[in-house]
Amino acid sequence: MRRFIPVLVMTVFTIMATFSCSGNTSTKDGPEYQYEVLSPWAEVDPIPLRGISPRLDSVSGKKIGLFANFKRAARPIQAEVERRLKERFADIETSLFDSRLPNVTETETVNKEKFTAWAKEMDAVIAAVGD
Amino acid sequence: MLLANRGFVNDAHSAASGKGMPGVRVLGSSIACESTVAEDIKSGIDEVFEGIIAELTRPLTEEEKSPQVDVETPPRIAFKGTYEEVNQFFYRNGWGDGLPIVPPSEAAVEEMMKGTDLPPDHVVAKIIPRMGKATIEKIAVNAVMAGALPTHMPVLIAAVEAVSDPKTRFDTFEVSTGSWAPLLVINGPIREDIRINCSSGALSPGDLANAAIGRALGLIIKNIGGARKGIEDMGTLGNPAKYALVLGENEEESPWEPLHVEFGYQKDDNTLTVMFPNRYTQTIPAQTNAEGIATALAGMEPRALSCLLVIPDHANIFSGEGWSKQQVKESIMKKSGSRDSRRPGRLQNEDFAIVVAGGPGVWMGLLQSAGGFGNYFVTKEIKLPSNWETLTAKYSTLVPTYVKY
Repeated sequence: MRRFIPVLVMTVFTIMATFSCSGNTSTKDGPEYQYEVLSPWAEVDPIPLRGISPRLDSVSGKKIGLFANFKRAARPIQAEVERRLKERFADIETSLFDSRLPNVTETETVNKEKFTAWAKEMDAVIAAVGD
Repeated sequence: MLLANRGFVNDAHSAASGKGMPGVRVLGSSIACESTVAEDIKSGIDEVFEGIIAELTRPLTEEEKSPQVDVETPPRIAFKGTYEEVNQFFYRNGWGDGLPIVPPSEAAVEEMMKGTDLPPDHVVAKIIPRMGKATIEKIAVNAVMAGALPTHMPVLIAAVEAVSDPKTRFDTFEVSTGSWAPLLVINGPIREDIRINCSSGALSPGDLANAAIGRALGLIIKNIGGARKGIEDMGTLGNPAKYALVLGENEEESPWEPLHVEFGYQKDDNTLTVMFPNRYTQTIPAQTNAEGIATALAGMEPRALSCLLVIPDHANIFSGEGWSKQQVKESIMKKSGSRDSRRPGRLQNEDFAIVVAGGPGVWMGLLQSAGGFGNYFVTKEIKLPSNWETLTAKYSTLVPTYVKY
């Protein structure tokens, strides 16, 4: 009988340890204790994906939109892009959409219609954003 | 095609994917952000000009023409392993904040969700930029990771509601280069129930509620909203306040009506008010009479949007000399300058709030959203679950006891 006492004690201890491990915070000292953990990464609803617009066969002769966001380098960057484009392709036309409202996505809010109409007129758009 | 500073190429791709156009072509340039140097802009465009032409003319790939829907369905159970393995797994997956996390086991998350009557699948908000669904269960998982208690859940749910309010300008602040961090000001009896520090060192580490609630919100923004540092969260220098910036108003020692009453709530309501500061400064007054304290508060140059932290002793000096909170604000407005760099006119009443907080001393503080983006204070009611008394009783003895030496 005496030889079974340690086994019995061990068994009781194991059962107690098992129950204590499944407690509310699952904290456990033992280095081998296994935690089965839930993912913190959220699910998202699928959004419809769209392809990007067809590319140009050539930039020559096209109407190129230049979109500048409100950051102060955007307009001078687009001015330089425009200068280089016209230097290379003398027959192109350019049009600037100047988004001036700081940290407002104008193209989706207050100026959505204006932007959409402008973009439809362009053969291609180069956007200067970030940052 | 998009032309962006090369440090923002990943950000641009994430933004395009988030709008359903993962194929948008992005070209990185070496032009310094917000460059004012014409020569640098010219040479930067020189470097990428051929690339611009190529991106406009190179034929589309099949994937660019018809991107495939890749619905991500993360498994509910993420991993099984030891404490160390769980921590390493979460860190490698980019789900942490640099500190060890508490493993979010099923049992721990279940216990956490006792802090609300809402069901696990209830969506509190979809958090930008990824539009991740902030369900009760996901909020609870991140709360467990942060070491929060179930009694903190009502505050976290209100915090998710508050930051998702467009008036906070969370859309900009959570990801922008200015490194803004959410400041949560807690009002009402819940401060005592969950031991939110309102007094000495309220903004310092050491209080479970202040620390864990702030940390949990940071993890929620990262893991549910998908704002990862250097990818979507483009904070240039970063901000230690993104770990936690939570305090309660010291209503008991204030002679004035508390913040939430000023914003239209009842004194016994539990509320959370949020704004996004990226500037924290402190000073002391040259004179400790009401006029001197008001001068020092104005001297910190509050601009839209600012939260002035006035210690109880100073609030009581004001009150003793017959100054209401509104009179203090009017004095500050007279002494202050412009609202901010983008809004015309002088500082307005709505541009700043006064919160009485802190302990004994002479220092006062200013938390400000430097940059000025038309943001406002947003206050939400903290809704308690039906088991609140039982829940708070369960954790009521969890308080630090410091030995004397």
